Amino acid sequence: MRLKVKGQKSRGVNLRAKVVSLVLYLLLVGFTIVVLYPIVNVFSISLRPSDRLLSTSLSIIPHDASFHAYEALFTQTPFLLWFWNSVLISATVTITGVVLASTAGYAFSRFNFYGKKSAMVGLLVTQMFPPTMLLLPMYIMLLKLHLINSYLGIIVIYTSTALPFCVWQMKGYYDTIPFSLEEAARIDGATRWVAFRRVVLPLAAPALVITALFSFMTAWAEYVVAAQVLQDTSLFTLPLGLKQFESSMSTQWGLYAAASLIISIPAVALFLILSKWLISGLTLGSVKG
Amino acid sequence: MRRRATKHSFDSERLTPNTFAYILMLPAAIVMFGVVIYPFFYNVVLSFSNMSLRHFRDWHIIGFKQYAEVFSGKIFYSVFLKTVIWTAVNVFFHVTIGVLLALILNRKLFGKAAIRTLLILPWAIPQVIVALTWRSMFNYEYGAINLFIAQYLNMAPIEWLGKPLEAFSACIITNIWLGFPFMMTIALGGLQSIPQELYEAAEIDGASGWQKFWTVTAPLLKPVMIPAITLGIIWTFNNVNIIWLVSNGGEPSDQTHILVSYVYKAAFNLYRYGYAAALSMVIFLVLLTFSLVFLKRTRASEAAY
Amino acid sequence: MECWNAISKGLSRGIMKYRDFKFILSSFHYSTFPVLLSLGMLLGGCAKSTLEDPHQIVIWHQMRPDERVVLKAVLDKYMAENPGIKVTALYKETEELRSGFQIAAIGGAGPDIVYGPSDQVGPFQVMQIILPLDTLFSKEYLSKFDRKALVYSQGHLYQIADKIGNHLMLVYNKAIVHEPPKTMDELISMGKEFTYPPNNYGLVWNYTEPYFFIPFLTGCGGWVMDSLGNPTLDTPAMVSALKFMKALRDKYRIIPKSCDYETADALFKEGKAAMIINGPWSFGDYKKAGLDFGVARIPFITETGLWPAPMVSPVGYSINASVPAWKIHEVVKLIRFFLSVQVETEFTKHFNTIPTRIEAYDDPAVRDNTIVRESEYQMEVGRPMPIVAELRAIWDAMRPSYQAVLGGTESPERAAKEMQRNAVEKIKEMNE
Repeated sequence: MRLKVKGQKSRGVNLRAKVVSLVLYLLLVGFTIVVLYPIVNVFSISLRPSDRLLSTSLSIIPHDASFHAYEALFTQTPFLLWFWNSVLISATVTITGVVLASTAGYAFSRFNFYGKKSAMVGLLVTQMFPPTMLLLPMYIMLLKLHLINSYLGIIVIYTSTALPFCVWQMKGYYDTIPFSLEEAARIDGATRWVAFRRVVLPLAAPALVITALFSFMTAWAEYVVAAQVLQDTSLFTLPLGLKQFESSMSTQWGLYAAASLIISIPAVALFLILSKWLISGLTLGSVKG
Repeated sequence: MRRRATKHSFDSERLTPNTFAYILMLPAAIVMFGVVIYPFFYNVVLSFSNMSLRHFRDWHIIGFKQYAEVFSGKIFYSVFLKTVIWTAVNVFFHVTIGVLLALILNRKLFGKAAIRTLLILPWAIPQVIVALTWRSMFNYEYGAINLFIAQYLNMAPIEWLGKPLEAFSACIITNIWLGFPFMMTIALGGLQSIPQELYEAAEIDGASGWQKFWTVTAPLLKPVMIPAITLGIIWTFNNVNIIWLVSNGGEPSDQTHILVSYVYKAAFNLYRYGYAAALSMVIFLVLLTFSLVFLKRTRASEAAY
Repeated sequence: MECWNAISKGLSRGIMKYRDFKFILSSFHYSTFPVLLSLGMLLGGCAKSTLEDPHQIVIWHQMRPDERVVLKAVLDKYMAENPGIKVTALYKETEELRSGFQIAAIGGAGPDIVYGPSDQVGPFQVMQIILPLDTLFSKEYLSKFDRKALVYSQGHLYQIADKIGNHLMLVYNKAIVHEPPKTMDELISMGKEFTYPPNNYGLVWNYTEPYFFIPFLTGCGGWVMDSLGNPTLDTPAMVSALKFMKALRDKYRIIPKSCDYETADALFKEGKAAMIINGPWSFGDYKKAGLDFGVARIPFITETGLWPAPMVSPVGYSINASVPAWKIHEVVKLIRFFLSVQVETEFTKHFNTIPTRIEAYDDPAVRDNTIVRESEYQMEVGRPMPIVAELRAIWDAMRPSYQAVLGGTESPERAAKEMQRNAVEKIKEMNE
């Protein structure tokens, strides 16, 4: 039936389809260039000796290119230590974020309890307060709890920053998983917890991946809170370390650019590895009947 | 199954469904409550105080004076207007570009997986780095953008960072670059869950590509996009990083501020803590009102389908 | 109906993915969560404010990367001589040091010592977050310093400087300019000679920033405030200084159309600018970039008969007001070490800074240093930066109108009026 319909279409349509896909390609390629250029630009800066942010030349590889900045980054600065610190903090935030969001999201998706609606809105509401003004009271709170210069405080703050989005998105994904599966498990004698843990959670794997990624990103690149809380270079995270190369009138642009690229690599790598799940897992609202 | 259940420390079977739900929520609730509540009330108190340079340690409560100050100053209204423009323009382009690219990427194209992956990159790179990179690209003499304009478009170079409108546009361009991958990803996810049969049915009915978009794609994409747009609006409204770093703290002439960057400046550069806290409360209430109305309206329209 | 289809499709995708994720999930138990959390606690440790730690002294500073190397060497020496004391030096960018210190101070925490230019003393003193130093250092000890090094505010000593500087000077590329210009007329004719399109300029500098405009304001006979701290921006001197700036760019065309710090820096480093107006912080960078450069006083303005006077500010140490009394002597001891002739000359050797200890001036490392001599010559006409919180409001008020004049949207006359009005208003807001 369909073949017949297609056969009836003239060759003109075929040509038109080709033109359309050419135009679409051009559009995509254009966007890709726009996306890539700034990144290439950072790479170019990292190759310039003597810390020039700007250059009169447009070439990507400067005539006096050197990898000196990269070498200096690893041999003359505690970059590896900062890297490790960031990994530690981000990994912990990822785990706490996934655990807390997966359970809370399930509660929001499956149960009709008192205060559910206001709690959902409440999560959104926490995103509305200007983050700049939270800095001062958060600092004072951590100070009173003796959590300054410690990772625990910062981990809790990052987790709370990532949670609202993660809970929303976990709930959205659970909503697409039919009740009947748990019901079947329950009839087989599984407890509620087991039904959730063994039946629903595995199905929500794509969403868990997104939650993990989002929690990771929240912690990985955060600067403002970390700068106020961590007061010892040996505790620094990567963004704090990066800032050490920047000074109001004499920035080490070479180191800065090289470090920027290296900081971006794990995040980019995660996105690349997970990009397949990203699209199926990111479900804030569902196509519900 | 049953044997395994006994291994767990609590027997969820004996709990009422609601108690089970509360237990699941509890850890997240404790974290959110602990981190958000104290700072929030701290700010409420501060907003009624006169804390400033001259009253830094000996501040006291002065009532609604700071709020009066917020609303009586001309600057609030102009900054507010800019914030609305900033949010609207950004979110509009995030969604439009995001959906457009998602539609293209949802077709059968050679090498689309690679392109899709590259297009997500702006989301993956830390904002601080992005902002400074774009700032150097907007440089009048050597910025890539002006060089491009001069060489390929044959236009006079634009003084991006030196003039208010241009600087504000520069911030917006940077933020659009940053934000569209998120919307694109959401839209792609939504598109992929639309059953192909619907398009085929529409095709048999003789619908054009355009008609298919409006009758099949748009309505089914909407419930997926609405929450993302709501979050996008809130995040963009409160995004201090890009404005602060691209315009170097509101330059030129403090003309590129949006409300949050203005709050930052008032508190930490001008030491007006009481005023900044009051302004924060106003921002919070504006966003709250907006979101409630927006969610209610869109939810209402959702039910109509 | 369609929606159910969508769901079942999504579902099959989910199950497929589950297979891939099985190994991750199977190794992941929710019971591991408390264990991880306590692990995190152990890793972070429950730390009190470092102010309460008798074995640690924290100093926040704004030293450049190259200076930090010398600072580290100096501190290592101190720690070797004083076992049991750990000195933590933390770099903070200017604005961040201010905001970070304010926030920390509200909570009674923060570093023991803050090091930076004298202008931060103004607001810190008003907020009462730094200690008066008069009683901590004897009169006899203080008499060993150049008077410019002792920063007083409201009649009390709040900062002791280890270097004087931050003054702008004329820096020239010796490969292009053989003899630096003595007067502005010379500078202009020289500038014309070395400016040719598209990328070569006679003179560059970060002129969009008001601090870098001060030499021209003073060269026309103006200043930012009177002795009571009231702004004096709406003056004929301001108008003619603004006009002069515009003329340099639009009439004589010896400077780029728009130029911020990074642009100027790149042009000078690439040898495309003959001269730059910059401060002593940049000299090390230029040396590293392999430039053969000289420094000189900013040229004389013949029309007004005045030397352009850059702002001069000491850079030094202040003590956090929250440092507990039992710890003060350790903090003072460290500051005295920083202020020793030895340490000061060490910095001079590396960075051509001007020391503050009178004894140091006889040290050959200081006496025979041409850059230091030129710096001192420039500073003879420099003016000390006012130590008042209001200065911040003045910069903020000047910037918009000044930049508007450069952008061509405002006349110098109106800009001067606008600056003044704005400054008065900002100071009022600040002092509310």
